[in-house]
Amino acid sequence: MSNPATRVNPVVRPATGLIPSRVPGSGGGFFRSRAVQIIGLALIFVLGLALPYLGANSFTISLTSTILIAAILASSVNFLVGEGGMASLGHGAIAGAAAYGAGFASKQGWDVGMQVLLALGITLVVSFVYGILSMRTSGIYFLMVTLAVGMLIFGLASKYSTVTNGDTGIANIARPDFLGEYWQYYYFVFAMFVVATAILWLVTRSPFGASLRGIRDSESRMRSLGYSVPWYKVGAFMISGFIAGLAGLLAVWHTHFVSPTSAGVERSIFAIVMVILGGVGTLLGPLIGAAIVVLIENVLSSYVDRWQLVLGLVFILVILFLRAGVAGGIAKLVRRIRGRTTSPSGGGSPPPGVEPASNSNHTTARKETA
Amino acid sequence: MMSTKMSARGRWAAIAGLGVATALSLAACAPPGASTGEPTTAPTEDPGKATGTLKVGFLSPTSGNFAVAGQEMLDGWNLYWEENGNEVGGVTIETIAEDDAGNPETALTKAHKLVEQDGVDIIVGPLIASTASAVAQYTSGLGIPNLHPVAASNDMTQQNWNEFTVRTGSMAGTQSTYPGGVWAAEQGNKTAVTLCHDYSFGWESCAGFVQGFVDNGGEIVQQIWAPNTTTDWAGYASQVQAALASGVDMVFVATAGGAPGPGFLTAYLDAGGDLDPLLLNCCAADQGTLRAMGDRIIGLKSVSYWAEGRDAPATQEFVEATIAKLGIVPGAYIAGGYMTASLVAKVIEEQGLLVGSDLVDAITSFTFPDSIFGEVTWDDFNNTIMPVYIREVEKGADGLLYNVPIAEFPAVDQWLGKGAPADVRAIVPYDQTNQGL
Repeated sequence: MSNPATRVNPVVRPATGLIPSRVPGSGGGFFRSRAVQIIGLALIFVLGLALPYLGANSFTISLTSTILIAAILASSVNFLVGEGGMASLGHGAIAGAAAYGAGFASKQGWDVGMQVLLALGITLVVSFVYGILSMRTSGIYFLMVTLAVGMLIFGLASKYSTVTNGDTGIANIARPDFLGEYWQYYYFVFAMFVVATAILWLVTRSPFGASLRGIRDSESRMRSLGYSVPWYKVGAFMISGFIAGLAGLLAVWHTHFVSPTSAGVERSIFAIVMVILGGVGTLLGPLIGAAIVVLIENVLSSYVDRWQLVLGLVFILVILFLRAGVAGGIAKLVRRIRGRTTSPSGGGSPPPGVEPASNSNHTTARKETA
Repeated sequence: MMSTKMSARGRWAAIAGLGVATALSLAACAPPGASTGEPTTAPTEDPGKATGTLKVGFLSPTSGNFAVAGQEMLDGWNLYWEENGNEVGGVTIETIAEDDAGNPETALTKAHKLVEQDGVDIIVGPLIASTASAVAQYTSGLGIPNLHPVAASNDMTQQNWNEFTVRTGSMAGTQSTYPGGVWAAEQGNKTAVTLCHDYSFGWESCAGFVQGFVDNGGEIVQQIWAPNTTTDWAGYASQVQAALASGVDMVFVATAGGAPGPGFLTAYLDAGGDLDPLLLNCCAADQGTLRAMGDRIIGLKSVSYWAEGRDAPATQEFVEATIAKLGIVPGAYIAGGYMTASLVAKVIEEQGLLVGSDLVDAITSFTFPDSIFGEVTWDDFNNTIMPVYIREVEKGADGLLYNVPIAEFPAVDQWLGKGAPADVRAIVPYDQTNQGL
């Protein structure tokens, strides 16, 4: 009687991925699935390191840098949506603000250290303002507040032309000398991607991350438990904003250029699209989503005039058939294959994650016993 | 169970830490290996020179908000080669067109692709100020000529000018409207109101008119700014009419191409406005506007470097070819593309295949006496010096509407009658408050 009940997953997460932030279930399946994940991660890691030696030309390398930078921005959005349940339409503007910080320093003829300092300072201030303004909102209101602040930053970038050069933008922003070559910069971006992903993963696994998920699932419960919900949200926004600012600085060092488009709402929307395509709340979802969007925008568009239509269709198909995104879909596939091979041998423990089939089995079983 | 979880987590952390450490150490070791390896030698010099091929990368926004203008500038470029063949004096012109979607980051990525993967010799385009600025800094760093058929931002040939970026088929924003102010003042107008888009292009276009008008004794009573996302122009039309009713002599309107021109004119005419006191810029009265508005705007005056109704053989030949091929009378965007193509053809015909700074020098020292714009030369900052026309909409014998020149200002340069400043890098960009007065 009690046995099947304990097997039922208490929380049904809408999305799990290659590395679910919380591992439901336990037992032998746990470590084996982890092994699959570690092999997957290691493969991507080695591929990333080896890419410049695989005969890729400078364009391919710099395009990969673009993907990684977009993935860092998407990761910052993914952290807020996946852990905090807060979908932001303002992260493009945070990245843009950081980029303008570096751009302004460069325009004044200051050195790279000042660029980093100014970018960091502006990022923290802007993230704090975002956090303060949105700390007591959630859902659609959170979306609107972040959109509004984003538009404000875009407006400043476009109109305050004595500082920002208006729509023409700031060009010739230099990056540190030791990152001058495109492949040096690629490795730097790659390392930053690994670091950013690790930071977000660690935060996700920390008590702070658990509290965030608690807030996501039930704000009122967390409040009644004595948690200061708004300040947790501000904290989450600051962390996420810091990563977004990092993406902005990396982008401006990559292109040597910043214009209001960099802070535009389109960039924020693309970040959300990347997260949804890749899989909300997954570790590598942002990278997969970023790769899809950047490749469609920059490579497919050379061959297909209506590339935006293709992007839209891919988005709709993913929403319809892969609710958990591409990463979630892959994880599900892996589980299904593993489930098939292990099921004859008893199947004492269900594979980690949510499997609709096994879930419904449990509920019907429960109904029968009741 | 608790203990297995803990140990799993510990193992995980150890693996993750190890991974990051490996990454960093590997990345640190990578540079010396990579510097002797393949990647750095990958950007190769184009092999096409020997066979006499000029590889052209054409960047324009053929999707997104600026798709119509971007497509037209590409159409103009292609039209020339279709009409005249893409072989000039033994040199084959090969064009690879890319869509930049009006986004600077995409434009830059596409420029990288064109140069590093396709090995183009020159880049033509893009259109928008920000995309142009992003691409120019990249191409100039590599010594690749960058020709601009349409881009109008001042700074391209002023504050941020470089040796390799050339305006070939258009003018700086202020340069093209300054004669409009001069002409309006000469017509006896004493006071004027301006209505311009509230971003760089609008600020620059307005600044040109304002300076031309004030320099010749006029007075600017009011400057109205419309956001570049404006779609409902009724409020602005009524502001303009209120100003005219209060005794202001004329109104200058400068918008970007596309929907704003017809949007404003429709609102203005529907409210009973009169065309006579209006003077528009190039793009508010471009062919797209003429096609959209029809006979209602016969008699509308505007100021531009492009006048499709100009009675010159080169211009008329081009207009007829465009009507035959594309079914429309060409506006400034098609003209810019065509002009750039004809310029490249003329220079190559005269001097053979050139690339890099040789090509730029050949273009900027060239005098193009019978271009579709009239006589064109280039200044020290790679900007065009060419005529500006005051135009009036007339119906041609074929029933189509044309902007026909009624006054001509020959050889207009970008310094608004004041000569080049001592330090062009120090020029402060125009905005709402700084109109150069």
